[in-house]
Amino acid sequence: MDRNFEYMFYGFTAAWLIVIVYVIWIALRERRLRDELDRVKRMVEDQEREAKK
Amino acid sequence: MNFLRQALAVAAKDLRSEIRSKESINASVAFALVILLLFSFAFDPTSDEVREMAGGLLWLVFAFAGTLILNRSFARELVNDCLDALLASPVSGAQLFLGKVIANFVILMVVEALCIPVFTIFYNVHWTQSIGLLFVVMLLGTWGLTVIGTLFSAMTVNLRLRELMLPMLVYPMMIPALMGAIQLSRVLVAGEPIADNQIWFRLLVAFDVIFSLLALALVETVLVG
Amino acid sequence: MMRTKLIILFSVLAGGLLAWNLHTIFIKVPDEASQGAIFRVFYFHFPAAVTSFTCFFVAMFSGLVYLRKRDLRYDAAAAAINEVAFTFALITLITGMIWGRIIWGIWWAWDPRITSYFICLLMYFGYFMMRRAIDEPHRRARLSAVLSVLASVDIVIVWKSIEWFRTQHPGPVLEIRGGGGMAPGMEAPLFWNVLAFLMLETALILVRMRQQGIQSEIESLRRYAHAF
Repeated sequence: MDRNFEYMFYGFTAAWLIVIVYVIWIALRERRLRDELDRVKRMVEDQEREAKK
Repeated sequence: MNFLRQALAVAAKDLRSEIRSKESINASVAFALVILLLFSFAFDPTSDEVREMAGGLLWLVFAFAGTLILNRSFARELVNDCLDALLASPVSGAQLFLGKVIANFVILMVVEALCIPVFTIFYNVHWTQSIGLLFVVMLLGTWGLTVIGTLFSAMTVNLRLRELMLPMLVYPMMIPALMGAIQLSRVLVAGEPIADNQIWFRLLVAFDVIFSLLALALVETVLVG
Repeated sequence: MMRTKLIILFSVLAGGLLAWNLHTIFIKVPDEASQGAIFRVFYFHFPAAVTSFTCFFVAMFSGLVYLRKRDLRYDAAAAAINEVAFTFALITLITGMIWGRIIWGIWWAWDPRITSYFICLLMYFGYFMMRRAIDEPHRRARLSAVLSVLASVDIVIVWKSIEWFRTQHPGPVLEIRGGGGMAPGMEAPLFWNVLAFLMLETALILVRMRQQGIQSEIESLRRYAHAF
């Protein structure tokens, strides 16, 4: 029975770990995307300013 | 009927091109022989257990060697924009696809026909009892492999990593057909009655029918848009 | 804004349900007669399996709708749903393996369900690989939809064939269908967990879809920039 408890905790840990890792991965991706969006927006603004000159 | 005639015209073109260059067949047969050789190192070729497994090994060889043929199928049309020309022609995407499936089917059957004697000799297998049924299984199994493989060849033709993507995508899809073919081949070689294993026949036929129809329905979307 | 509120709502509800369920699972439900404590893993394994399986089919329909309407948002939805389903299929597989280690003594039993799920993961891994290999959005959406249809149809056929294979070549005894002999008190947390998982997955899908929107905005801005 003790072994069962041990493996049960492994099971729950595994499930939660996968969810948490996935959520962290999504969050990191969100930050990377926002940074890239800002960068590209700035690039477009610069180019528009150049074009107006 | 016109549909079939157009498809056969495409098939004839591919086959003629293959007969003249023999590139796919040569590569495929050579690869198959190498795999048979490698298997002999992994398993003891003379033992009885291997003779029982013979059906399974054979279909693995066909699946691996077949991928070489299937990869070339649409890839060979990329040179000189032949694929665009074909798509612009009056031949519909489905007819083009069916033609290529038929051509690949014939080529793969030829490769298999060349492999089987070698396999028989290497692994000391006795086919004599059920040649007819075995031939039927080969037809059904090869059609399943070819339909799926040609569809994925069409899907991956313009991808960056075509040679990597095709095997990765295709093998999981082929599993039911391979399972049916392997089971039936094993049973026929071992001489067991086919009646117990009818379900595999039905699986193979169902797989072929379902995926042929599905492929014909979807190929236009894949090729043209 | 609306979407953000939805995401928060779903996450909180899911979190609350899961927490309450954990309490039930650990404190109130007694040990199952033949399996002991390990049975509680089933409360995660079953919801993950059921929800991920459904999600793959929902994603397939989303792909089909894209093919009909050519609206890239359906493709974004399909990709997001498939990704979340993939994660939960992974959870299904791993919890199933851990469970199997105790019940059958081996990590991998080649039974129909776990093998089919493994094949399913392989197919959808190919799906994601293919998406990464295509840059043009509509082409990516088109081929993804087709692949999604093929994978979903095939997974059903694969499942059936391995079942038939296993009836001929029986493996370890697989009668762990808890549904047959589950006491009524033990079933309720199961369904609540399914609901919780569904809400968690919906929240994650909505977040991913929003990210896809940002991604396509970046791509269109880049195209605009290159036009100068």
